Amino acid sequence: MQQRETEAGRSIPGQPDMWAFVLFESVVFTSYFTVYLVRRTQSPALFLQAQAKLSLAVGVFNTLVLLASSWSIARCVQAARERSFSAASTNALLTAFFGLVFLVSKVREWASEIGKGYGFTADEFFSFYYFLTAIHFLHLLIGGIALGIVVRELRSPARRSLELIETCATYWHTVDYLWVLIFALLYVVR
Amino acid sequence: MNEKRELWIGWWTLVVFYNLYGLLFFVITRTQPPPRPALEPSEIVRWFADRHDGLLYGYAIVFIVGGATAIMNATLAYTMRRMSVSRAFAYAYLLIYALATLPGMLLMGIACTVGAMRPDRDPALMSWLYDFAFLSFEGTMGVFLIGSLIWMVAVLLDQNGVFPKWFGYLNLCNALTEVVVAPAWIFQSGVFAWNGAIAWWINMGVFVVYTIVFLTLIRRLILREDFGTGPLPELRTDAAA
Amino acid sequence: MNVGFERRLIVVWLVLTAMTISQLGVSSIHGRGVLTPNAVVTSSAIVIALVKVRIVFREFMDVRHAPALLCRLTDAWVVVTGVVLLGAYFVGNALARG
Repeated sequence: MQQRETEAGRSIPGQPDMWAFVLFESVVFTSYFTVYLVRRTQSPALFLQAQAKLSLAVGVFNTLVLLASSWSIARCVQAARERSFSAASTNALLTAFFGLVFLVSKVREWASEIGKGYGFTADEFFSFYYFLTAIHFLHLLIGGIALGIVVRELRSPARRSLELIETCATYWHTVDYLWVLIFALLYVVR
Repeated sequence: MNEKRELWIGWWTLVVFYNLYGLLFFVITRTQPPPRPALEPSEIVRWFADRHDGLLYGYAIVFIVGGATAIMNATLAYTMRRMSVSRAFAYAYLLIYALATLPGMLLMGIACTVGAMRPDRDPALMSWLYDFAFLSFEGTMGVFLIGSLIWMVAVLLDQNGVFPKWFGYLNLCNALTEVVVAPAWIFQSGVFAWNGAIAWWINMGVFVVYTIVFLTLIRRLILREDFGTGPLPELRTDAAA
Repeated sequence: MNVGFERRLIVVWLVLTAMTISQLGVSSIHGRGVLTPNAVVTSSAIVIALVKVRIVFREFMDVRHAPALLCRLTDAWVVVTGVVLLGAYFVGNALARG
């Protein structure tokens, strides 16, 4: 268990390596967002018209679900720190549940839009919409693996590496906050 | 440092080859950055004509030195042999990257030289060669995606500290860029086309960072190498830089 | 888990939820049927999103208790991202008009 103590009592949650990855991925996503915004300003009417076909309510729901999942994984980490491993497990599973809810909601949203004829190639807005939500979805699936690792760690007294649990939690939060940005850019921005 | 000589040969091959590759693709053949997919056949004919000599001579060099990829892949696989993980990782990586030279280099080279060789060929055929060249080069992801994932898993499971964990995660970034390229098969223009801001430019940015990083890390590995099977010692600050 | 921590976490989640739901309101004010671009709505959406992200960093990801370097890095990322995104939007608009 490696907690990096640099100042009195202050340590980096999980592996610093994961933080490096998180910041790098965030920069890459920002570059995608930048391209999207620039393209959007070149065809505002088209983007607005297409965007109107999205359900803002579903977007809000999805955001709330992921924010709740961040809440539950934060509780999981805290419980693990206090060695309340069964509470930690419960919270980890709760996080997975929220992730699953988001997953199902997203797939249904896509299915509904495709059903109405708004597919990947429908127009420029929708190509960005599917691209950003799909690449985020992929990150969510990877997050599922991270959660699996957390659950596995918590199960056996021989494991329970706090560093690993915190590392996976850091990754999960990234899935959440990237969605917060995607939601604002795809659903709210005018 | 005699035992390390072979490793240094491998490393220098990597460095020289990547630089040569950049020179050949970007300067001599001028096939990178990629041109627009949505060109008319007559424009495509002109594209080939403009690059006639560069394509033929440039790719001739690529075909001659292409075998160097064997040395490069062996060096990369070696890093996995030094890890505490199963040797199967190294073997799988070797296999998959041996395959990768086809879409990563050779197919495009063949298509472009075939196109350049007879400038008076039917424009429709030239269009076909053009699409084939760029789709096979930019659009194929399977091998590189899986290869990066193999290296990632090996790094994350490794207990010999051959590479820092963040390099494992960087492999994940690289793997994901392969997925980002996928829309290039669908779009003939825009940011997702094979020359697009997202499918090419940002992707290339990530790839360049990734390449510089692993070249640097392999160099450090060779400096640290003790030819044991246990954890690799840290780089001594008094060691020759 | 101590009550103070539990309470703080719930409050944080409620704040984030409220901010999210408020974004529902911002769009409605300018009407669903009205298809006009709006710099105020866009800018505030981006800024609010980044404030939420910073809250996630500090409270959920525990940057609050992390060494100064991590605090500075994450804050820097938030600021740079804000500048880049807003810059892209306004520069893009200027280019479109010109």
